[in-house]
Amino acid sequence: MSLGLTTLTKKREVDSIIRDTIDKVLVLRFGRASDPLSLQLDDIISKSAREVSKFATVALVDIDSEEIQVYVKYFDITFIPSTVFFFNAHHMKMDSGSADHTKWVGAFQRKQDFIDVVEAIYRGAMKGKLIVSCPLPPERIPKFQLLYKDV
Amino acid sequence: MTENQSSINSKTKKKKTDDQFEFCKVCRLNHDQGRRHKYFPNHVKSLSSFLSRFQQKLSDVKFFLKNPAPLRPEHAARNRLWCAFCDSDFDELGSSFACGNAINHLASADHLKNLKNFLWKHGGGMDQVDSFRISEADLAKWEKKCTSLKSEATRDGSHRPLIGPSNGMRDASSCLPAGSQFHSNPWGLQHLTGYMDSQQSFVTNGGNCHGNVYTGNGGVGGMYQAHPVETMVNRESSSQGLHNLTQISGIVQDAKGNVHSGAPPPWFDVNEENLRKGKSKQGFGSSNLASSLKKSGKSQKLNPKRVGAAWAEKRKIELEMEKRGEIATDNFDVNWLPNFGRVWQSGTRKESRKEFQVENKNSQQGETQSETSIEIQPYVSKRKRTEVE
Repeated sequence: MSLGLTTLTKKREVDSIIRDTIDKVLVLRFGRASDPLSLQLDDIISKSAREVSKFATVALVDIDSEEIQVYVKYFDITFIPSTVFFFNAHHMKMDSGSADHTKWVGAFQRKQDFIDVVEAIYRGAMKGKLIVSCPLPPERIPKFQLLYKDV
Repeated sequence: MTENQSSINSKTKKKKTDDQFEFCKVCRLNHDQGRRHKYFPNHVKSLSSFLSRFQQKLSDVKFFLKNPAPLRPEHAARNRLWCAFCDSDFDELGSSFACGNAINHLASADHLKNLKNFLWKHGGGMDQVDSFRISEADLAKWEKKCTSLKSEATRDGSHRPLIGPSNGMRDASSCLPAGSQFHSNPWGLQHLTGYMDSQQSFVTNGGNCHGNVYTGNGGVGGMYQAHPVETMVNRESSSQGLHNLTQISGIVQDAKGNVHSGAPPPWFDVNEENLRKGKSKQGFGSSNLASSLKKSGKSQKLNPKRVGAAWAEKRKIELEMEKRGEIATDNFDVNWLPNFGRVWQSGTRKESRKEFQVENKNSQQGETQSETSIEIQPYVSKRKRTEVE
C-alpha cells in the first residue's frame, strides 16, 4: 500500500529524511496501512506527491513500528492518520481552527486540498513563518476532539 | 584572433560597447555588457564551474606528469585534451607517452600567454595561473622520467633482441600519423645496431615528436629512405609482431602496474584523487566550496529569513562533504530529534524538545526503578500519582 511513496519504519530513517530535506516541505504521514482513513489519505497524497514534488517531499511513517514509538510520543500522535510538516528540519504548524496546530489530523477530502495546504506551508516557511493559517474552508477540515493528557 | 579583436574592441570602444555584442565563451552567451560582464555573478559562477571542469581534466594530465606511462598506439586516439584556454585540441596520435602532447602544450609559452589572457579577460585571479599550467621544472622532470623509461625499455630490448626492435617500432610508429607505420622501421633498427645510439635517438625523437609531430615524421621518412638495406633486416625481426604486446606490458608493470598485474586503474588511485582534491582546493581556495554550493541550489534566490535558513546552509555544506566522502554519512546522534512544537507546549520548539528529552529520561528511569523496586517495596512514584489524578 505504499503507492510509490517511501514508507519509513525506523527512527533513523525518519531522522535522515528530516535532515536531508532541504528547502522543501517534508510531509510525514503517520498512520497504518490497515486503517481505512489512512488509506484514503495515502491515496490522495500519493496522487498529488508528484505535483508537489518541486517544493515538497512526502513520506509515510508506519506507527506500528517499534522504533518509531519515540516519534509517536514526541509528536503527540493520538489519532491516525496524522500528518506532520517540516521545513529545513523545523516543525511547521498550521492553524486550521482545530485543537491541534502541530499536525493535520485526518484525511483530506480531495487532492487540491492537500496541495493547497502544502503550498501554504511552503510559502509561509519561505517567508520565515513557523505557523501558517489553513487555506481551506472550515467545512473541509476534519473535526476532532483533543483531551488534555487523557483527562 | 576573433577573441583578440573583440577584446581590443571592448577596450578601445568602451563607451560604445553597450550596443556591441560579444561572445563570452565561459557563459556561452552573447552580451553587450562590455568589460563589466566579467563581474556579473552569473559569469563568476560559470567561470568557477568552467575552471573546475578544466581542472578536473588537467588532473589526469598531471597524473601522467607524475607517473609517465608509455602510450600504446591503439589507445592514442582516446587520449586527448581540449585546451579551453587556447581553443585547441591536443591528440596523442603522435606521442609515445600518455598525455605527452598535452603536457608539452601546458608547459609551453603559448599556453601561458593564452591562459593569462583568458584570466585577464574573464576574471579569476592571476594566482590561479600555476594550477592550469605545467612548470618548466615539472616538464624537465617528466622528460627525464620518460627518457629513463625509454632506456629501460631499450635495455630490455637489448637483452631480448627479438622484442626490442618491435618495441622501438611502436615508439616510432606512435610518432607517425596513422597509415605511415611502415616508415617506422629505421627506429627499430637503431636499437639493433647500437644501444647508445638508440638512447640518443630517443631523446631527440622525444623532443621532436612532442614539439611537432609532422616535422618529426618527415625526418623519419627521410631516414627510412637513407637506409633501405637495414629496413630489410628489421622487417624480419618485426615479423614477431606478437611480442610487441608482451614487451609493452612489461614496461607498464615496471612503471606502476596495470590491469594484468591487478593494479588499481589510474582513476581509482587514492593518492591521485587526494592530490586532485588538494590541488583544486589550492586553486580555488575557499571559494571552491561556496561556488559548488551556489551551483547545487537556488539558495541565492531563496529568502535568507526563511525557516531554518541557517540550518539549511549548514546541512548543505555537510551534505556536500558527505558526497565527497570527507565526513561519514549518518554520523549524527542516535537520539537526535527535530525541533517540534508539541501540542500542549508553550515557548520555543527547542524547549519542547528539551522537555520531551527530560520526560523520556524520567520515564526510562521510572521504568527501571519500578522494575527493580517492585519486589522490594510497592512504591508508586509521585509522577504517576499525579497522572492518575
